[in-house]
Amino acid sequence: MSRVAPTRGSKTLSFLFILLSALLLYLDTTYKSFEGIKNTYKSFEISTSYFFKKLAIDPILYVYELSSDKTYLIKENKELKLALDESHLYNFIISKDSNFFANDELIEAFIIKNGINDIFYLSRVRSFDTQLYFCCSQHRVFIEIFNKPSVNLVGSPVINSTGIIGQVIHDNDILEVLLLTDKSHVIPVESENHFCNAQGNGTPGKIYCTYSTLLWPEEIKQGQSFLSSGMGGVYPKGLLVGFVGEIKKIDDSKFRFEIELVSDPLQENILGVLEN
Amino acid sequence: MNYISIPKVILILFVVNHIESLTAPILIQAFINLPLTFLVFSLVVYRSNSNPGSIFAFFIGFYVDIISDSPIGLNAMLFCMMSYLINSYSNTFRLFSSFQVCLFFSASSLFFIGFKNLFINIENFSYLELFISFIFNSFLLIILSISRFNFLRIIPRG
Repeated sequence: MSRVAPTRGSKTLSFLFILLSALLLYLDTTYKSFEGIKNTYKSFEISTSYFFKKLAIDPILYVYELSSDKTYLIKENKELKLALDESHLYNFIISKDSNFFANDELIEAFIIKNGINDIFYLSRVRSFDTQLYFCCSQHRVFIEIFNKPSVNLVGSPVINSTGIIGQVIHDNDILEVLLLTDKSHVIPVESENHFCNAQGNGTPGKIYCTYSTLLWPEEIKQGQSFLSSGMGGVYPKGLLVGFVGEIKKIDDSKFRFEIELVSDPLQENILGVLEN
Repeated sequence: MNYISIPKVILILFVVNHIESLTAPILIQAFINLPLTFLVFSLVVYRSNSNPGSIFAFFIGFYVDIISDSPIGLNAMLFCMMSYLINSYSNTFRLFSSFQVCLFFSASSLFFIGFKNLFINIENFSYLELFISFIFNSFLLIILSISRFNFLRIIPRG
């Protein structure tokens, strides 16, 4: 049976819906009008998978663990794993080799200010859309804190054992983390006398800086390290961010260079949230 | 049967979107972008006996926007366009060979990828990715349309 060709009415309707879609697209890209709907769906999706796992998979695993008579060992193993992950993060923070801080005074001041035991909150990755991470400019991770504090953690830096990976932008039961490589993320960085706001552009593992030789006569070299400058109040001063990669000349005085990040958000599922 | 079972389409698209989210990070390493959700929607419209309306295409696109975390309106607009295009040329397709139909869908997916990248990945827009995706999608559809694996006939009408 052949299909009827679209009538004038259906053509008009199609045109109107295309216009409506374009309007919605404009509102979403310009004003982020539908972030609420997206976040609600994301929370629903994560919660559903969590409850499904709790109700369907965990009981089966529990019965299996009981039957194999190794429950105690497994529990102890999990506790040790948690403690090990925590110590990895802890060592990263206080290690001089990691260049976490530029000098000892700052380390001491930071530790005294925050209290060494409460320096970070241990959390785990709940959802990470690697499809968006590899293909697109929107790089986000959803995490869950093990013992969630009552304070609001929006604007708090997030780290794993490889270094700094981003900052918290939404604090509900599940925290949304904006990664350094997200197009909308900017981190102030410094190296010797060079300062710049390094911005992500959606390329995994790289952020970008633009500078003018009129402002910075000193040359930027490949392999030069960049640390967080502490400006902006989100990231502590002196965190090693990465090393200079490819440098491109834009015009006679302007250069754009990439910073290859030392941190990798895909490395671990366990993260630390530093209270800001 | 002259209507499309909407719950079935919604369920299929949800599963396909999940599969796409699993395969995409691997395929993108080889500069391949396979828009499975878009292709499956196109096939559903193509195989339908009736003309699925623009309201159907709009709401299915809106639904895909939400589940795939795309900017709202992007898939809705492209699905409306694709639905209109297929409805307009539904009878003309009967004159085409399977090979030509496969090329049409590959070209559509190429347009879809390019248009989508303009909004969500403009900084890393890659013609290489478009070119390789077009070749890959064409080969994939042609292989699948060979009578032995003719999935176009497997998808039930309605």
